[in-house]
Amino acid sequence: MHWSKVIVAILGLLAPAAYAMAQAGLAYETIQPEHIRLGESATLRVTSLDGDLPNVPLPVVSGLSFELIGRSQGLEFVNGISIPSTSILIRVTPQMAGIFSIPGLSPKSEPVVLDVVNPDDSNPSALLKPKPAPTPPLVATTPLPKGVQLKAGGGAFVQLVIPTRAVYVGESVPVDIEVGVRPGIVTAMNGLPALSGSDFTLNNLSKQPKRSEQVIEGSAFVVMTWHSVIAAVKPGDFSLSAETPLSVKFNTYSAADIAITARMGQPFLQGLYNGITPKDVTIASPSSELKVLPLPTQGQPTDFNGAVGDFQISSDISPASVAAGDPLTLRLHIRGAGNFDRVDSTMFDRLDHWKTYPAKSSFIPKDAVGYQGEKVFEQPLIAALPGEQTIPGLGFSYFNPNTRHYEHARTQPVKVMIAASLADSSLGALAGSQSLNGAPTGQSASGLHPDRPRPQSSVSELRPLYFQAPFLAVPATLALILAGSLFAVRRNPARAAAKTAERALAQLDAAARSGDSSSFFEVARTALLRTLAARWRMSPDQITVAELKTRLGPAGEDIERLCALADEVKYSDYEPGSTDFPRWLRLIRGQLTGEME
Amino acid sequence: MRAPTIAMLIAGLALWCGQTLAQPSQPRYSADGLYNLANSYARAGKPGLAVLSYERASLLAPGDADIEANLEYVRASAHVPTEPRTRFARIVQAANPNLAAWIGVLGIALVGGGLLARKLAPRFRGLPAGGVLLGCALIALTVSNAMLLWPRMHEAVVLINQTPARVSPVPMGDTAFVLREAETVTITAEHEDFILIRTRGGLTGWVARANLGTVVPQISVYPLQSKGIPR
Repeated sequence: MHWSKVIVAILGLLAPAAYAMAQAGLAYETIQPEHIRLGESATLRVTSLDGDLPNVPLPVVSGLSFELIGRSQGLEFVNGISIPSTSILIRVTPQMAGIFSIPGLSPKSEPVVLDVVNPDDSNPSALLKPKPAPTPPLVATTPLPKGVQLKAGGGAFVQLVIPTRAVYVGESVPVDIEVGVRPGIVTAMNGLPALSGSDFTLNNLSKQPKRSEQVIEGSAFVVMTWHSVIAAVKPGDFSLSAETPLSVKFNTYSAADIAITARMGQPFLQGLYNGITPKDVTIASPSSELKVLPLPTQGQPTDFNGAVGDFQISSDISPASVAAGDPLTLRLHIRGAGNFDRVDSTMFDRLDHWKTYPAKSSFIPKDAVGYQGEKVFEQPLIAALPGEQTIPGLGFSYFNPNTRHYEHARTQPVKVMIAASLADSSLGALAGSQSLNGAPTGQSASGLHPDRPRPQSSVSELRPLYFQAPFLAVPATLALILAGSLFAVRRNPARAAAKTAERALAQLDAAARSGDSSSFFEVARTALLRTLAARWRMSPDQITVAELKTRLGPAGEDIERLCALADEVKYSDYEPGSTDFPRWLRLIRGQLTGEME
Repeated sequence: MRAPTIAMLIAGLALWCGQTLAQPSQPRYSADGLYNLANSYARAGKPGLAVLSYERASLLAPGDADIEANLEYVRASAHVPTEPRTRFARIVQAANPNLAAWIGVLGIALVGGGLLARKLAPRFRGLPAGGVLLGCALIALTVSNAMLLWPRMHEAVVLINQTPARVSPVPMGDTAFVLREAETVTITAEHEDFILIRTRGGLTGWVARANLGTVVPQISVYPLQSKGIPR
């Protein structure tokens, strides 16, 4: 047999089977749950995979009531391949218990069976069945907003809702931006909606918009709504629209291609042959016309800061009574609706008898977009004088778009009782009621001694000078100098002896020149004995002849002779020859000089 | 020396003088200023700070009648017992400590000069002896003044009423006794953020450093242990 004949024979055998499979697999019905109790409902879903599901007549089954819920479109995932599907949802409510067979609603679908038991029956199948899924909520059918068209192949729409009246430059205008997407068709939003053009500013949009599910033109949509405010930056007539980026799945095949795909029957074969591709698109809302008027220059207050809206103001102060020198807070409340970012007040730059500080503001929004709310300005003030003080009212100017006029609001003056400062009150007043640390006291306080005039002199250190190291250097240095001086002038025996010897030698020279032997020998003896006594550490009276001979040897005999001559001169008027003076002088000088050396 | 060199030297000297004068100055104290400050604290109902300021003022002006009167009055109002001074202390502390310091210097000079004169002029022994005696008396006056003032260098005033004195230098230590505000105590040791104090009655306990104000600012009794006493 030739191979070609074998192939033709196989195809001839498979063709009827493939046709039958295609006829049977393009539509099917499911009911969930299959086992219910009387009083509950089940959902019958008729699904078509060939992309075309005409309206089907509701079945007629005795004991069952049917109610059309709606249609839905999505993607059926078969063996990992996504296939577009269309479903019709029908609610089935039994009126009696029993087993019901619901016939196929399309020629391609098979009948399904619903088991209904009494609420108090112990049906084994009912016990074994899983917990029934919650009944799908009713989805209201909503028409497409007027002027809005489905885009992205009918998978999405954008709508911008703005007021129809004219607005003013800087005015905050509430707007709603609605974006509807069909799940399964629109796979992702690639960003938040934005306004086209740069003539308006749009407040930051929330990433968690209000979400709702609506059936629009027979298809289920997820509608996301952002509430925000816009403000015009310049006057003029503008065309305004909102845009949003989406990822949408498009079927690139024509109707003929889809028909061929549908005839493949098996989802696996359809998966091999589908033309669905994702694509990033940006869809825009229909343009809306908005007229923006300039703020009138006539009658504009000097303190106008650009606030546009409808505001009310009030003020308060706390605490109501303070002591002079203590701070209190003055608050200005501005409530209403408008552009609070332009609502500003410096409050008091200067106020007589008050010390003013810069004001700070805070905003408390009453809605999500900050269009309505309350702005509070707080300014610290310090009273300089005691007594009842009046704080003038605060003013605030704004443009009211409802009245189309500038308005100036003003608060009422505030009266504050300022007590005398604690620093000015006497201690006696405090002590009269209680002591300084809170204990009761019986002392009759006569008050403190008064303050003194402004101090003239001051020091940089509280420690006394004698505990400061730099100062201690002064007495220490002085003591060292004095000690050094005392050391320098201390008595020196050698120097004194030398001076005595010099004086003695001078007297001896004078006596020798004058030939006064009496004085010569007397002075010589005295000087020698004193010198020798100092040298030998004894008294001059204790020096004997033996001592002289023992210590001085031959020189001792000369000194003995000199002493004898001195006695002779003194007591017997003996006059030695004048030629002896030089010899005696050499002897004496030798002894005295030797002492010095 | 060339003119440019001289000019550079002058410029350098001027720069050095400018830098020296531009250095931040220390806080200045005056007896009158501290007295007025203490009066302000007293009127504001802060006896601790008032007593501290009075104590500091009395360091600069001992024997000042106004300071003593107000100090005694504030202490009495705060129910803090006062310790009367002896006559000797009154006499010795009548002199300004700084004046007493210079008197001591004068005494040293007199003693040294007298001894020197005695050496240099032995014939005039009476006058040097008198100088030495006078010098010794002045030195004794200064030393007595310093000895009486030395304990006050280690005193502190309780600034917070009902300050707990703990048995150990930890925040959770058991309370040994409670100190009144404006009470004067003696510092005996320090440990981290706690100071060991001794009251006039002889009680000892650890007090948080922040609850005390030392009479002499920035004094550190035990430098190796302390981390600085608050002003």
